[in-house]
Amino acid sequence: MWGMTAGALTTLGYPIVEHTLDNGLRVISSPDHIAPSVAVNIWYDVGSRDEEQGRTGFAHLFEHVMFQGSAHVASGQHIALLQAAGAVVNATTWFDRTNYFETLPTGGLDLALWLEADRMATLLDALTQENLDNQREVVKEEKRQRYDNVPYGDVMELLNTLTFPPDHPYGHTTIGSMEDLDAATLEDVHDFFRRHYVPNNAVLSIVGDVEPEDAFERAEIYFGHLAAGAKPPKPDGGPLGPLADMPRTEASDKVPADAVYFSWRLPARGGRDFDALDLAFSILGHGQTSRLHKQLIRSTEHAEGTGASTMGLIGGNSFGFSYARARDGVSPEQLEQETVDVIDQLLNEGSSEEELRRAKAQFERHWLHELARVDSRADALGEYATLHGDPQLINSRIAEITAIDNGDLQSAMQQWLRPDQRATLIYRQEAE
Amino acid sequence: MREFLPRPAIAPAVVWAFPAPRRTQLSNDIPVMIFDLPGQHVISAHLVLDLPLNAEPRDTEGVATICARTLDEGTLRHNGEEFAEQLETEGAGFGIDLSLSGTQIVLDVPASHLDRALALFAEAVAEPSLADRDVNRHVQLRLAEIEQAQANPAQAASIAFRAAIFEQGKRAARMNGGEPQTVSNVTPEAVGAFHSDHFGPAGATLILAGDFADDPVAAAERSLGSWRNDDQRKVMIEEPAPAPRRTVLIDRPGAVQADVRFGSFGIDRLDPRWAAISIASYAMGGAFLSRLNAVLREERGYTYGVRMNFGPLRTGGSFAVQGSFRTEVVVDALAITRDLIKVDSAPFSSQEVNDAVAFFTGVSPLRYATADGVADQAATQVLAGLPDDYVDRSLALLRSVTPEAATEAYQSVVHPDELTLVVVGDAERLAEPIQALGFTDLEVRSPADLSESS
Repeated sequence: MWGMTAGALTTLGYPIVEHTLDNGLRVISSPDHIAPSVAVNIWYDVGSRDEEQGRTGFAHLFEHVMFQGSAHVASGQHIALLQAAGAVVNATTWFDRTNYFETLPTGGLDLALWLEADRMATLLDALTQENLDNQREVVKEEKRQRYDNVPYGDVMELLNTLTFPPDHPYGHTTIGSMEDLDAATLEDVHDFFRRHYVPNNAVLSIVGDVEPEDAFERAEIYFGHLAAGAKPPKPDGGPLGPLADMPRTEASDKVPADAVYFSWRLPARGGRDFDALDLAFSILGHGQTSRLHKQLIRSTEHAEGTGASTMGLIGGNSFGFSYARARDGVSPEQLEQETVDVIDQLLNEGSSEEELRRAKAQFERHWLHELARVDSRADALGEYATLHGDPQLINSRIAEITAIDNGDLQSAMQQWLRPDQRATLIYRQEAE
Repeated sequence: MREFLPRPAIAPAVVWAFPAPRRTQLSNDIPVMIFDLPGQHVISAHLVLDLPLNAEPRDTEGVATICARTLDEGTLRHNGEEFAEQLETEGAGFGIDLSLSGTQIVLDVPASHLDRALALFAEAVAEPSLADRDVNRHVQLRLAEIEQAQANPAQAASIAFRAAIFEQGKRAARMNGGEPQTVSNVTPEAVGAFHSDHFGPAGATLILAGDFADDPVAAAERSLGSWRNDDQRKVMIEEPAPAPRRTVLIDRPGAVQADVRFGSFGIDRLDPRWAAISIASYAMGGAFLSRLNAVLREERGYTYGVRMNFGPLRTGGSFAVQGSFRTEVVVDALAITRDLIKVDSAPFSSQEVNDAVAFFTGVSPLRYATADGVADQAATQVLAGLPDDYVDRSLALLRSVTPEAATEAYQSVVHPDELTLVVVGDAERLAEPIQALGFTDLEVRSPADLSESS
């Protein structure tokens, strides 16, 4: 499973076999017989970036409706039947994707494929106003629990708004707004399903205790008869250049500490520039040897928490951000200046070879961890097939990252992380 | 389109067993458990210390957490930042896990770097600097962390719940990382003393899991085999005890949701009812269409999700129905919950039991397919005093649970009219209607005194 070059690990050897059904459904198999389990994962190439004006949060609401039954499956039974087959089941929605997945003992593979095919084919047969209304309430509870009722819960939304124009595909959050969730209709569900939930807009990954020929045969049995649709066009968001004019906003609420957030527009994932910036953000704010931690937590002791990371996106641009929460007695302005100093120093003086080596080593462990489980490996295959057109890339990611040098970091940072290219959010503690 | 295929049957599961460890020991008598897991290229190493949190002096609780968090801030051989830099250069991740049952220090590292990373790991465990400045900073960071926890409604609910259900004075009633009053008392001297009193090879176990490039025992012997501490003290674990039922409302003015914990003192894995209660709690609040989630989420749309959890300790434990509900419906949700958790006239069915057994049996191969999954479970077993084949035995016991046994075990542990209720939400809107439900002993408190006794 390893390829070794000059003593360093570079290329992984997970077996990956691909087959496309006549209706355009891409099927990826990666056999692994270490455990009697199989992971089934479907990536639909639709996310919150595909939402219409006035319908923010709809892709995620739709994901919930997918569990409300189809022609041959009663409401809630998708998960119930799979759990009773020993499965772990879930789904997620993000800017660029909606993925549905279950991992279960190999003997349940047919059931999993049948259930996924039934809702891909016949979701609308079972759709009712009652089901839509119920899941609208559930999603609103999710929004309250994860965003509205927790400290700093609106940061993501504020940063989105600062970083992208309001009508940009990434200009709103995946959870959306209460008003738009309230406005969603049965007709919206019909339209969205017909436009996006077609076999030729999906990737089915089957990873684990099944051989490729077997996996493809079963995929044909359950999905082969579904009709292809028109491949939906992707929203046009750019690419946009770096931020200009240093947008800035303030918020205040009952939070335990003042905080300073920065965000940046970055290039889309899938190129050397993005990978170089990902390493730069790791050097800046990942872990206790990162620049922000060393300076703000260890040295000046002005922050109680710091971090920086990228969020890789495919539609023209990605997103990068950093944060620092102030210790008592430290003003957000002071913390802002110290954070700026740390970033500018990295920009002006570059990173050391040691720092780059550490960032790469941490990436390597993270990536090996990701591929160690059949469920997260299946998800990675769907991700790379959907967003980059090639699932084989999961085997060469470490080599790609290893090849990046400090010159790459320097040129990418000079293009995207100059001082006038960031947005700023100051989050203040509201007086009691 | 042709007619749709009928729903496929499930083929029987193949026999699966939890991996068996090779056992050996280091020259200082530390037992070593080795799990050879082909294809698992990130090694997981857990050093498990028989060091329960009740080892902490009462007035400096939190000292164990501060000590553990300062371990990787520099060692006698690698000063300050240099230590973490070396560890990260090896691609290693260093972690700690402190619980009432014991202490774990965890290393994750690609197999080819194990030897060097284990040597650094041993330095952090056996000869950390525990420098004044680092200890004092971690005290301040812990105090800030407590403020963040108090401001988060789900965490606030859990803190208030443990304070309410365990007997006052027991360590289990207070936060694992210490309360503000005692964390403030933690000094560099206290941390140094805690380390020299309690960190040592006696009672320690080393667990190594993964696909090893070289013999891991030799590497473990080089790094930890000569570790000595002649002053190490043995600590007996404190048994928690239940507290009388209470109703506590933590006020969060203007909150759009209320976080609920409704439960009591529970049982541990060695209790003969454990298998039956596991089945019962899955049917009541574990499955997606559990009795609670089917009604409160899927029928009513009151919540993103509601669960019933049992949390076993080494002896005793806790259980709770937990979820968050919008303020407008939380009182109705409580009334429904109180009815649903009564099983006297609705005993568990054979269908519910079969589904639970199938779920627990089915998820095990996946859960224990990775190095960290196996090492985590093995460490849990060491700390709970369970045998190496515990997972296999417990699955066999689950398969023997009858609907009658599940119902009986549940009724013997869950007494719906004697449960403690904790709600974190808007007191102005919730206090009266909750009292009107019959919780007449309701106390309203502020988030700042989640843990203090009344």
